[in-house]
Amino acid sequence: MHILLAEDDPSISVIAKLSLERLGGHTVHVVSDGEKALQQALTNSFDLILLDEMMPKMNGLKVCQAYKTQTSTPKPVIFLSAKSQDSDIKEFQSHGTGFIPKPFDPMQLESMIQEVLKNMTSKTA
Amino acid sequence: MNSIRLRLLVMLTVLLGITGGLGYESYRTFNRVKDMRRSLDISYLLRENAWQSHTLSAKSTQLKQIEKLRSRVTEPQRLLELSNLIQAANSGNPRLLSARQKTFIKNEAEFQRYTRKQLSYMEQRLLYFGSLVFLTLCFGFIGLQLVLHRSVIRPLDQLSRKMVDFLHDRYTYQFSVPSNDEIGQMQATFNSLAQRVLANVEQLRTLDQAKSEFLSIASHELRTPLTSIKGSLSLMRSGIVGKMNEMAENLLGIAETETDRLIRLINDILDLAKIEARKLPLHQEWSSLNELVSTSIQSLNGFAQQAGVRLEMDATAPIETYMDRDRIQQVITNLMSNAIKFSPESGVVTVRCSIDDKNRILIEVKDQGPGIAPEDQEAIFQKFRQASSDRNPLVKGTGLGLAIARALVEQHGGEIGLSSQPGNGSIFHFSMPEWRYSRNLKNEAHV
Repeated sequence: MHILLAEDDPSISVIAKLSLERLGGHTVHVVSDGEKALQQALTNSFDLILLDEMMPKMNGLKVCQAYKTQTSTPKPVIFLSAKSQDSDIKEFQSHGTGFIPKPFDPMQLESMIQEVLKNMTSKTA
Repeated sequence: MNSIRLRLLVMLTVLLGITGGLGYESYRTFNRVKDMRRSLDISYLLRENAWQSHTLSAKSTQLKQIEKLRSRVTEPQRLLELSNLIQAANSGNPRLLSARQKTFIKNEAEFQRYTRKQLSYMEQRLLYFGSLVFLTLCFGFIGLQLVLHRSVIRPLDQLSRKMVDFLHDRYTYQFSVPSNDEIGQMQATFNSLAQRVLANVEQLRTLDQAKSEFLSIASHELRTPLTSIKGSLSLMRSGIVGKMNEMAENLLGIAETETDRLIRLINDILDLAKIEARKLPLHQEWSSLNELVSTSIQSLNGFAQQAGVRLEMDATAPIETYMDRDRIQQVITNLMSNAIKFSPESGVVTVRCSIDDKNRILIEVKDQGPGIAPEDQEAIFQKFRQASSDRNPLVKGTGLGLAIARALVEQHGGEIGLSSQPGNGSIFHFSMPEWRYSRNLKNEAHV
């Protein structure tokens, strides 16, 4: 898969990129703020978008809303966030495809993504 | 008049003066009435005697007798002759016979008439003074009641109502203008007291907020770098970045274990802080206790096998307790993992549920470990206090597990404790007050 990863913490983005490329065999493009994420998501074709919730310039939820209104064929969006209250999780799930809580174990990241995608297909089916 | 004390003092003095004066007057009148009545009776008695004696000698004997009588008796007496003239009068009735009156009242009949007239006047006077005293007392009593009610009872009631309101966090404590007397001073004192309390509450609230903010910032700031460290370490150990020599791999293992411990410690500190600040809401519901215990045992099976310890469950009748499942499982797991850590090779850890003498559910975790010295039994429930384990030096706890367990059990309304003798193992136990027999026996059966 071709994945867009929007994450402002360089350490986490390096770890996530490494994990996804080496363990999952994907290609990963990393951006570090909300505006760049939206621009990349609209111009290049990705199979999956991973959005950090707290980013400079534009937060994850706003990027997701803007992306969905400006494209005709939206790809799955998964939020990464340390917010773990029920109300927050519900909001993530209503806007995007799913939610992965932070901190995540890089060894488990691939399987968590597969789980979210599986849930999505079972919901639409 | 501002002071209640002064007001009451003046009222009481006036009342006392009036009743005292009137009382004294009526006492005097009463005495005079008594004197007159007595003098009338006695004169009659003496006259009877006087009538009986006709001869001079008899009369003189009688006179002697009367002299004798007079010397012994202080009663008012008059010596009467046949003629009804007053011959002598003793000291018993000096007021009745002033020098001037003596010259006029020669005749006993006249005296009697005069005295009776006086008597009826005096009796009227007595009645008049008596009723005056009674009325004064009545009005004084009513007046005193009114004053007490208006300036003491009512303000006190008001004040106590406001105090109760204040106690229940309804801040109606402000009085318009406290009156300038004792009660008013009390109101003013209470006002400033209430203001100070409110200021303190406000300050505490600010501090509490600052603490919560600090905790959430600290937790985020501490967790973020730790997550990156942990992530990097596990990626390196997984070998996807290249093969490493054995020494490097060992060192990486240590780094990862210690990072895990650090993360656990931070999570525990934050948990405890939240529980102590009552910020950790319990999601309580009725659920099966046996099921919870067996889940806890299953989750610890791997760890127990590593340590060569057998886990046993001594189940009771199907019971449900009102609890936050996750939190009580955390308590049971903590007690059991402690028990496993301190168990000898091929030891047994038993979990037992029963009903104690206070009709609470009692959950006991029993081990065959070295036991805990009496002086350490209270200390181990405190933060960062732990006994050392010789057998499992690598399984390091955070020293917060029992403190968290105690806070959680207490939040459920229960108690936690232990009984242990050095050399004979330990039993950790906690109680839960809210329980019932399970209604759904089928569910219970297949667990």
